Amino acid sequence: MSLFTLGIARGLLGQVLGMVIGMLLTCAVRILLGWEAWAAEPAWTVGSVCSIIGFLLGVGSLDDWLKWTKGIPTPFHHGPPVDKPAWTRYFSVDYNHKVIGVQYTVWGILLLMVGGTVAMIFRTELARSGLQFLGLDLYNSFIGMHGMIMIFAILLGVGGMANYLVPLMIGAEDMAFPRLNALGFWFNVPGSVLLLLSLFIGGWDAGWTAYPPLSARGPIGYQLFFLGVFAIGLSSIVGSLNLLVTILRMRPPGMSLFRMPIFCWAVFATSLLQLTATQLIGTSFLMVSVQRALGMGFFDPRGILGEVSPMVGGGDPVLFQHLFWFYSHPAVYIFVLPGLGIVSELLPVFSRKPLFGYKWIALSSMAIAILGFIVWGHHMFVSGYNDILRIPFMYATLLVAIPTGVKFFSWLGTMWGGKIHFDTPMLFVLGAISVFLIGGLSGPILSTVPTDFPLHDSYFVVGHFHATMFGGFVFPFFAALYYWFPKVTGRMYNETLGKIHFYIMTPAFWVQTLGQMGVGVMGMRRRIADYDPTLGAGQIEAWHMAVTIAGFAIAFGVMLMLWNFFQNAEVGAAAGDNPWRSRSPEWQIPSPIPEHSFPAPVRVVGEPYDYGLADSGYVTTASPGDD
Amino acid sequence: MFCAFLYNVVRVTHPRGQYLPRACILQNRRFIGKTIQPGTIEDRCMANNRRHFIIATVLIVICTVLVYWVLDTVLLKPAAAVVEAGPIDNLFDQHIWLIAFLFALVVVFMCYALIVFRARGDEGDGEYVHGNGLLEILWTVVPCFVVVYFAWISTTMLIDLTRPNPDEFVISAEGRQWSWLFTYPETGAVTPDLVLPVDTPIRMDLTSDDVLHSFWVPEFRVKQDTVPGMVTHVRFNPNVIGEYTLRCAELCGTNHGGMLATVRVVSAEEFKLWQSEQLAQRQE
Repeated sequence: MSLFTLGIARGLLGQVLGMVIGMLLTCAVRILLGWEAWAAEPAWTVGSVCSIIGFLLGVGSLDDWLKWTKGIPTPFHHGPPVDKPAWTRYFSVDYNHKVIGVQYTVWGILLLMVGGTVAMIFRTELARSGLQFLGLDLYNSFIGMHGMIMIFAILLGVGGMANYLVPLMIGAEDMAFPRLNALGFWFNVPGSVLLLLSLFIGGWDAGWTAYPPLSARGPIGYQLFFLGVFAIGLSSIVGSLNLLVTILRMRPPGMSLFRMPIFCWAVFATSLLQLTATQLIGTSFLMVSVQRALGMGFFDPRGILGEVSPMVGGGDPVLFQHLFWFYSHPAVYIFVLPGLGIVSELLPVFSRKPLFGYKWIALSSMAIAILGFIVWGHHMFVSGYNDILRIPFMYATLLVAIPTGVKFFSWLGTMWGGKIHFDTPMLFVLGAISVFLIGGLSGPILSTVPTDFPLHDSYFVVGHFHATMFGGFVFPFFAALYYWFPKVTGRMYNETLGKIHFYIMTPAFWVQTLGQMGVGVMGMRRRIADYDPTLGAGQIEAWHMAVTIAGFAIAFGVMLMLWNFFQNAEVGAAAGDNPWRSRSPEWQIPSPIPEHSFPAPVRVVGEPYDYGLADSGYVTTASPGDD
Repeated sequence: MFCAFLYNVVRVTHPRGQYLPRACILQNRRFIGKTIQPGTIEDRCMANNRRHFIIATVLIVICTVLVYWVLDTVLLKPAAAVVEAGPIDNLFDQHIWLIAFLFALVVVFMCYALIVFRARGDEGDGEYVHGNGLLEILWTVVPCFVVVYFAWISTTMLIDLTRPNPDEFVISAEGRQWSWLFTYPETGAVTPDLVLPVDTPIRMDLTSDDVLHSFWVPEFRVKQDTVPGMVTHVRFNPNVIGEYTLRCAELCGTNHGGMLATVRVVSAEEFKLWQSEQLAQRQE
């Protein structure tokens, strides 16, 4: 078996070829125009666009559609490839949502490790004041790299959970559009390759937010960064469309929207945001890309002699921020809503009690999603836009606290009066609640403009943001990994190692996030490689050291988890079909799940969370006649 | 009132479970509007609920004060050197109280539930309770008032902070990679360091020569980005003589961290003297 039986190897080869073809094309056009043949920036830009297409052609994600254009039938193949080992399906185009879910998740975890490693490098630099081993430009590239890689990782994690779980939870055979589903995943690979590659051709030094004019003047790495994000954005859009259609159209008889497992509501809200907001970050980055490549002055007020071509000016740097945050604020909710859905999903199982206020939790996700569209201005309180408009943005931002509060109180109501079990997934759910609480509570102080003045762009924001991301995504994601690991593999992870992971990571994260907020209050700015050691009455170095140590502890915990999974995926104790005694449809079928998840069409016969109601069921695959 | 609402809704098992028959932890709503006879199951059940909520309330109060004290001790704000720092720091303090209370509220209830309602090897299910609309409305509506309160005081404060003052002293500042230039319109002096007269309302007219920067002196609290092609304003009234550091707060390239300028707040006499020196230098 050669390496190129794997789709991903063919895809990467296609990406390299695409890059070369794109570059040659650029050179050819330049020669025809009578210009110097080689210019780095246009060559890399056109090359990157072609490289994405090259990857998709190479991996074979477009094959079926290309065949359709020629009228060739493409019978749908179920199960592992016929002439290759079964495991190869995970490295090639496969239309089964369970395979795609695993692909998303594993790719997400890989990026999580890359992003975490980058963070460990600059956290080590920050442990002491002064510059130890990182240069200023490399530091700036690293912080942006950490940010954007983690965003990719989170989007992939969200995609992984949604793709794997939603069809199972609503008892559907697969997603509505399996081919589109595969395309959605495969966009991510060339996108992340471009992002990583950009570090080696100059990097980019304006952080993940890439504000022009700085990003319009930075190194060539920016073009790859912008196009990488664009590819991931396409993945978000097609993926969310698929999920919306699946949730709306593929539910079984009897499953009204308010009878779906609550995680589906969270995915629904997230998908609405993804489908409608992602275009804005694509547009804003594409505009900077075009500004750089062609000299259009979208965001340049003055017109400067650019490295590539002269700018004409007449643009507005603040406009970029509006476009950028119109996606990037909702993006935060895209990241956290599925995580909060996982919390709501797991709490009833481990509390052995119905979810408290199901409809309120479901609708609070929708309320957060809708409010998410009218709060982007709070990222720009000091940017110089209309003073008066800061007030409505402040009101809207504070209002987000209300649906979020509903979730917290409903979670408390779920636990109250239950019979609570403390298995590892539940521990991570509790960790998520505690961490998201810290993230949530540090929000209002940033949303009232007068207190935002001293905290804006300080390390306090870094602490707040990491608490919301860890509480809203990382902890629930880990809970989900532990919880569904037995379903995916059929094997049980090591419970002791899981608990050790939790008890290392959670206190370490509290120290990290509170430390970050603390140094921010002292006056530490974000995105600086070196800081004034006299801040905070000279205590700042000790705080930074604590944050760095905590960061390493978190990294150690994550390694422990991955080792635990790696060890037990094949040889762990058999988990059984329903080790958590859940009522959800995916636990009523064998582990690991067979190719066709449900032996017969699913029918809903009860409420999803009726724990404590004797002789009640949620779904059945028996036909009505069998009752 | 909060607790009264809560225990109309939330059913509670006894910590050791054996005193109360199962009936006690079922629909508690049947108690509402009824006179409960002393000594009955209902009476013992209500007493039990009341006991849980009294304990939780006491713990919340203690925890709130404790969290406030810890945050107040460990969060080291820079010294205040402008009049505006007064109201801003006051609002900050109110936020810390709110944070302490909400943190206590959630954490106490959560930890209390985790201890009292842990499974103890019992493989059975918890109480069959789907929720309570009244309670949900309560914890939707009450936070609305808190939100409006904070938004309202912040709005009035923001209007105060940005209100033009006819007597304000205007200085222009321009950020450039990676230094600052200050222009004093009265004298035309251009300096790399900022010198300010004490007890004078100042308006900075900010702009940038290249990329985004941000004007921030931590001791002055307020912050404002500088944007190329646009003039932005920030107002403050320094009231403590001393030397501070202006730190660029918007990522602006390689040496963003080192984009600093010295800010000296001096007495009115000294300022006059300094201005005349600057004028003399210009005329030379």
